[in-house]
Amino acid sequence: MLTTERGRIVLGLFAITVLGIAAVYLFGGKDSNLVTQTVVTGLLLGGVYVLVSLGLTLIFGVLGIVNFAQGAMLAMAMYLVYFMVSSAGINPYLAVVLSAPIMFGFGWLVQSTLMNRLITDVGHSRPLLVTLGLSLLISNTLLMIFGGRPLNVPSPYAGSVQILGAIADVPRIIAFVGAVIVAGGLIVILRKSPVGLAIRAVAANGTGASLVGVNVKRIYAMTFGLGAASVGVAGGLLAPFTSLVPSAGDQFTTLAFVIVVLGGLGSVPGALVGGIFIGLLQTVGSLFLPGSGPLLLVFGMFVLVLFLRPQGLFGANK
Amino acid sequence: MTALGVAAPERLADLKRRLPTGARLHFSVLALVLVVMAFLPLVVPESALPVAIRTLIFAIMAVGWNLMSGYGGMFSFGHAAFFGVGAYTNAYLLTAFGVSPWIGMIVGAGLSAGVGVLIAYLCLKYKLAGSYFALATFAFAQMFLLVTLNMEFLNKSEGINIPLLPEESWSMLQFDQGSLYYYWIPLVLLGVAVAVSISFVYSRPGQFAQAIRDDPTAAESLGIKVMKYRLIPVALSCAVTAVAGAFYTQYYLFIGPDQAFGLHVSTDAIIPAVIGGIGTIWGPLIGAAVIGPLSAVVAGFLRDPPPFLEFLYGTSGLDIAIYAILLILIVVFLPKGIYGTIRERRRK
Amino acid sequence: MKKHTLVVVAVAVALGMSGCSGTSNVAASGDSVDSVTIGSIHPLSGSLSGVGGLMNAGAKMAVADINEAGGIGSLGGATLVLNEGDSQGKAEIGQSEAQRLISEGAVALIGTYQSDVTQNVASVAERAKVPLVIDVAVDDKILEQGYSYSFRIQPDATSMGASGARSLIAMGEATGTEIDTVAYIHIEGAFGGSVFEAFKTEAEATGITVADEITYSGANFSDATTQVTQALASDPDVIVVTGYFPDNLLIAEAVNALKPDIKAVFGIASGAYDDNSFPAAAGEAASNILSANYHYSATSDRAADIRTRFEAANGESMETASMLSYQAVEVIAAALEESGSVDPEVLRDAISSLSLTDPLLEFNGPIEFDENGQNINATVVVMQVQDGAVEQVFPTEIATKEAILPAFSR
Repeated sequence: MLTTERGRIVLGLFAITVLGIAAVYLFGGKDSNLVTQTVVTGLLLGGVYVLVSLGLTLIFGVLGIVNFAQGAMLAMAMYLVYFMVSSAGINPYLAVVLSAPIMFGFGWLVQSTLMNRLITDVGHSRPLLVTLGLSLLISNTLLMIFGGRPLNVPSPYAGSVQILGAIADVPRIIAFVGAVIVAGGLIVILRKSPVGLAIRAVAANGTGASLVGVNVKRIYAMTFGLGAASVGVAGGLLAPFTSLVPSAGDQFTTLAFVIVVLGGLGSVPGALVGGIFIGLLQTVGSLFLPGSGPLLLVFGMFVLVLFLRPQGLFGANK
Repeated sequence: MTALGVAAPERLADLKRRLPTGARLHFSVLALVLVVMAFLPLVVPESALPVAIRTLIFAIMAVGWNLMSGYGGMFSFGHAAFFGVGAYTNAYLLTAFGVSPWIGMIVGAGLSAGVGVLIAYLCLKYKLAGSYFALATFAFAQMFLLVTLNMEFLNKSEGINIPLLPEESWSMLQFDQGSLYYYWIPLVLLGVAVAVSISFVYSRPGQFAQAIRDDPTAAESLGIKVMKYRLIPVALSCAVTAVAGAFYTQYYLFIGPDQAFGLHVSTDAIIPAVIGGIGTIWGPLIGAAVIGPLSAVVAGFLRDPPPFLEFLYGTSGLDIAIYAILLILIVVFLPKGIYGTIRERRRK
Repeated sequence: MKKHTLVVVAVAVALGMSGCSGTSNVAASGDSVDSVTIGSIHPLSGSLSGVGGLMNAGAKMAVADINEAGGIGSLGGATLVLNEGDSQGKAEIGQSEAQRLISEGAVALIGTYQSDVTQNVASVAERAKVPLVIDVAVDDKILEQGYSYSFRIQPDATSMGASGARSLIAMGEATGTEIDTVAYIHIEGAFGGSVFEAFKTEAEATGITVADEITYSGANFSDATTQVTQALASDPDVIVVTGYFPDNLLIAEAVNALKPDIKAVFGIASGAYDDNSFPAAAGEAASNILSANYHYSATSDRAADIRTRFEAANGESMETASMLSYQAVEVIAAALEESGSVDPEVLRDAISSLSLTDPLLEFNGPIEFDENGQNINATVVVMQVQDGAVEQVFPTEIATKEAILPAFSR
């Protein structure tokens, strides 16, 4: 593992994290049960962040679109699951599987009807603004349909288990496992399937790819669809423990960008590692910094990464 | 011709020849626009005044943003940072030291320009461009918001209230509710902002900045100092936006972390400029003229819809949804913005 | 081409402006008028539109009820008209809505739910000399600026923190439960901070120690386990909570997951714990949670009747915020009746000297405003979730069920 740069990075980050947590245990002056609970909660929170960021790393990484509608799409997915559960009474986790293709279709539609008209643009500003507009449109359409009062999706597997003496909520554990599965699935698709190869080719060199016969526009649509489907799964897995309001996804949009940049644009393993790291940073940070302190810490880190290593952990060196 | 419709000068000598005529024409139009707009409050109903003022504030912000992002080519997604610095500087100096808002405005502009130059310098030094530059500015604006939320001397989340004076005062920039000065002052400020814009665009630094925007390598090979001529539009941009922030505080008599540094403030600066035409003199104004009243028009329409659309009455969120659809349509189908497209068509 | 610009700009703006003018419901200044307009400003779109819509509906119902009962007698049976404004949750929109409503003839305003929006609207009201009756907005500062045109029915943050502390102590004594230390979890910001400070001052003066204060950011909060675990590290008897619905819900769920050895979870001014949707949303996590808050009167028949009709007409339970909007309209109507005038300045004086008996909220007495505009008889009562319903449990005079304290037997 030490031979590749990627391996060294993962090992390095892992070492820093472990050392950091050890330092907190030994020198933090906090009860060790509290630290254990914080670490467990942080890992689970990281799982949530990973789910939200997977779609974005594809959309931002491959298509170069700063997708400000990420949070709104997350909320849309949550409401989709709510709708299926409340009207047909199906298990929410089954609804997740059903909502993924619907969200894929939505993503495909957005890319092919709107974004594909903008790919000749030199700048990125217009796609960004379109996603901004989409974000407002989605949030307010959800508001019009479902109203503003918080809704909830009951989880059939409520309850908690003990891990290393700390409490973990079962729905959150399911979400964490889901995050790993989706990440794994995306990695497999990108590495092994012909579509994945085409996506990576287009990401690396759009003109080159089209010259060898890849239908770039179709691949773009597929990528946005795939990103949207990931968000779809994310929304479904988060719904059982999130208070559903139309703006429920907004708090994740900003963090998703931080994680995606940290992990490296277009890198699924990067989003996985980055998400978990940020989750831990937030919970452990809240032990020492009150209120919005941890968030400030996260942004500070974001700026540092942008300055010192903008390609993120797993991005290619420029 | 480049994508943004501004010709890159082939030789430095070309610059000197192009200066006077274009600028003079713009200035005369500006004077005309200001005079016509000055009469606006006399022909529209009183209830339209708050919307008009908000539109003017948007216009100043958009003109400011356009200097750096349109002419300078550095897309800022965190212009709230500069707006907020102007707003808070003005509010703090006024409430803590009784300093006149006019001075507060100038101090705020200076401080904001300094902050902006620092941020831009760091970003450029570390070779951030495009989306990365935008994300960095976004992160800074968010950090400013979080820091302000935690600063005791800025009243944390409560924000700063401007105390009500018993009488109108020019030196303290406070007038009676509904006073037309609240309209004319930002109009004049807008005029100054546009004048700054015109002067900059046609000046040597401005031409250099545009050359750098269009082709940094070529500009560098011509001997133009890239960093210096990039930071000049940044400083101007931040100063202008800060002035909008300072006036905002005086008009609304209140500033809080979200009003100063929230994401919507950044988008309020960007959307009018893009809709009107990024990288043009008049684009930001036209964009603001469209966007500013849009939300109010739609909301008004929904309060009183025609009979065949009765079912739309009072639907929460419909007005913003319509605004969002319009935004998407204009951005997708009018690539150069409204003014930019008109200008293109006229040139053919 | 340049002239094009000019025309486009001028026409666009003029069209935009003219599209903004609303119809004027001008109520002439005089003793006998046909209608009187009240302006309401609430977040009808945006993230807070759920509660904003409910409050607007409450105000609308009050207007309808008063009109049905004959309108304002002293104005010749004039009908009330509600002009509904949408703040969109933003301070500057709230301000321009206030200005619009006033220019369209509102003689009084009600609103706005958010403290920063209310601050902006209050300054508009003050300068336009039109009274504002605040239904919901907790920040003390709004009424501490020397404004004479703003009035608030609900208790302010300081009084809620203080009376929350007093209620907790009194309940502990009444049930023989020892409460010596508390850990306080609250949302960051003026709301959470001021309630906490008031609680701390009152509590420590009477012998309760605040063992730990834990703050969290409302902007990014999806799991409360860390905060609750931190609170438990100081081994408190009771965990006190202040915040809004989504974050307080997460706190209740975290407490339920951790199943700690504490005697109660005690909310003060919590946006969740006495909301009627909380028991369903939280399931078993809501069980026996206490909430010190202002509340619609569960003992008044009149309030019960209004709530029943509201739920029938709107399909949703009438929460306290909505009742406060209803009450605000009643305050204005009573003042109109008293003064017999639609002049906002006269109306302001009438509100200021008003004594409105039979309030719809569980208060200590009639609604009467002090020189700052604060309702002096506003108080909190303590609720508890029992068997999936929100019951009033303290003081005993207004209790619908007996308090269960210690709330948890582990």
